[in-house]
Amino acid sequence: MSVAPALQANATLERYRTLFEERFTSGPLLEARRDALDAFLKRGFPTQRDEQWKYTSLRRLEARTFVLGEAAPVSLEPARRPWITHGGGFRLVFVNGHWAPALSSPMAQPPGVTLVTLGEWVKHEPDAVLEYLAQASHRSASALEQLNAAFFEDGLVIRLSPNARVDDPIHVVHVWTSTTRPAMAHPRVLVRAGHHSSCTLIEQYVCCGEPESFTNVVAILDLEEGAQVQHYRLQQESPKAFHIGHIDVCVRRDARYGIHDFSLGATLSRLNIRVRLQEPGAHTDLHGLLPPSGTQHLDTHTLIEHIAPHTTSTENYRGIADGRGRGVFNGKVLVHPGAQKTDAHQSSRNLLLSPTAEFNAKPELEIYADDVKCSHGATIGQLDATALFYLRSRGISEADARVLLIHAFAHAVLASVETPAVREHLEALLAARFGSTQVTS
Amino acid sequence: MLRIDNLHVRAGEKEILTGVTLHVAPGEVHAIMGPNGSGKSTLVQVLAGREGYEVTAGSVTYQGRDLLALAPEERAREGVFLAFQYPVEIPGVNNAYLLKAALNAIRKHRGEPEVDAFEFLALVREKMKLMQMDESFLSRGVNEGFSGGEKKRNEILQMAVLEPTLALLDETDSGLDIDALRVVANGVNSLRRPDRAIVMVTHYQRLLDYIEPDKVHVLAGGRIAKTGDKSLALELEKRGYDWIKQEAA
Ligand SMILES: Nc1ncnc2c1ncn2[C@@H]1O[C@H](COP(=O)(O)OP(=O)(O)OP(=O)(O)O)[C@@H](O)[C@H]1O
Ligand SMILES: [Mg+2]
Repeated sequence: MSVAPALQANATLERYRTLFEERFTSGPLLEARRDALDAFLKRGFPTQRDEQWKYTSLRRLEARTFVLGEAAPVSLEPARRPWITHGGGFRLVFVNGHWAPALSSPMAQPPGVTLVTLGEWVKHEPDAVLEYLAQASHRSASALEQLNAAFFEDGLVIRLSPNARVDDPIHVVHVWTSTTRPAMAHPRVLVRAGHHSSCTLIEQYVCCGEPESFTNVVAILDLEEGAQVQHYRLQQESPKAFHIGHIDVCVRRDARYGIHDFSLGATLSRLNIRVRLQEPGAHTDLHGLLPPSGTQHLDTHTLIEHIAPHTTSTENYRGIADGRGRGVFNGKVLVHPGAQKTDAHQSSRNLLLSPTAEFNAKPELEIYADDVKCSHGATIGQLDATALFYLRSRGISEADARVLLIHAFAHAVLASVETPAVREHLEALLAARFGSTQVTS
Repeated sequence: MLRIDNLHVRAGEKEILTGVTLHVAPGEVHAIMGPNGSGKSTLVQVLAGREGYEVTAGSVTYQGRDLLALAPEERAREGVFLAFQYPVEIPGVNNAYLLKAALNAIRKHRGEPEVDAFEFLALVREKMKLMQMDESFLSRGVNEGFSGGEKKRNEILQMAVLEPTLALLDETDSGLDIDALRVVANGVNSLRRPDRAIVMVTHYQRLLDYIEPDKVHVLAGGRIAKTGDKSLALELEKRGYDWIKQEAA
């Protein structure tokens, strides 16, 4: 009796094998890909029985059949393209998972940086890629990461030379165009920041039209001693999109990794961020805004591991759930034995704008050292009635007062965005989503 | 200007006001005193349109109109201003932005042209000088991290900019040092005009040395238990409220 559903599930998964056999028939990576595929098929998509997936069901994703994304032209004129187009910097665009040189900056590299697309890297240095994959499989071993390792085709490798300070942001755009059939891509982003190097990375996931897409991206970042990486991640995919992201960061001595996670789009989004503070002095700042609306389901799980003593982290997440939207935030801080003098602060504040909206916010502290300073707080509430009254008592309409307070709430995350082009882009997105006030300022 | 007649107000199961009658004519300054919890804040908040209170009987007319029928923002645009006992901190909403938005909402309602950034700054600078406030307060979040006294000053700054017809001041003097009290009183006095009225809630006779009231009322037992002139405040200072409660009972 209990065999039947398992067989059925396997039949769903078998579609991935068929697709794999069609697409990958030879090449130096075939064996590694096949191992990853087998690992994925053996485990299948995570289910809600898995504690990590308790609030997020992938059944809708699993039921769909996706083809692999194909390169396509982007017909939109420059001014109407959905990504940040001003603000300088170095831009690399991937369309439906494939590098689009015509839309990207010329491959003249900014000094101190080596940028290679994953496709090129595989072509020119397959052995290095194999070695990397073997290493990466220890770090990214979940079923969905294995799925990525089986199917990945393109992506980006960023290497910063020691002491290289890259002022202009490196901007990576993943865009989906309207496709006739639901399509998927499994891109990878690899960053190796040499000692005392620094850069700003902007990652944008956008779309033209409303394609049914499935993105399953893996990003692996290594920050050597004293390196600084500021990462802005804007997920603005189509309302019919499924977006799964994995970020794995290793932070060495005195290095700093900061991320702003703006998970705005997709019908279902799940981001896993894992930061390992590997050596003394390592620091990380995690900021995030999750505003599910309509029937969106937006989920971010973060895991900060304090492995070495004298490591510090701060985390500031905000959720704004509207309509029938559902948000999930799970922030785990794990302090390893011996990681004395750890300093970890986490705050998760969430706003419910409608009676049918939901938010599950859960901080988790697991501490195996005794001399540490850790704090966390999670709140869920509605717009502050007293603040609303205060604004209205000054002549501001109720609608405008609500908009002002919602923006003020989101501002706590936006305020720490240091790249003006990113902040302006986000302000426009949030104005479109929550409305802008009628009052002239 | 303001006619409150037999006003009964309830919050949940609690009867807070049980028949307040109070008439304020243009040009007048009224002080409302009374024990803690007697309903002074409730009265002024109900006048400003705070939700969560149920008016079970009585009426309030303002300039001949039914005040209770108006939304809070409509009352503000009609010239009612409440200086809060506990001004609200709103991080992320810029202080200057709120001031300008409020001013323009009121001007628009009056059919006046909105002020531009230049005119606004000139006006605010002048009023900030009057309130002896540093301009750095403009760029901060509304009341965000302001000290108790700074919050009160900010309320009066807003009032000075918006120039209300009916100003309701709820314990604006509480928590002010002696110099600040003089500054705030100056701000209030500069607003006095024959066509405007001021109702101020206070616990201290001292404020009335600076802002001369036409009438002093005592709110106790849910209604105006006694009305007098400035000397009533002096008497209260000496004798407390018990005798009024007994008189009223
Ligand atoms: N929303 C409410 N729900 C229940 N009780 C309330 C509510 N608002 C006020 N009260 C109660 O009504 C009474 C009057 O409160 P109010 O704040 O008006 O007093 P007050 O005269 O301003 O006092 P104070 O001098 O201490 O400022 C108090 O007992 C208070 O607890
Ligand atoms: Mg009070």
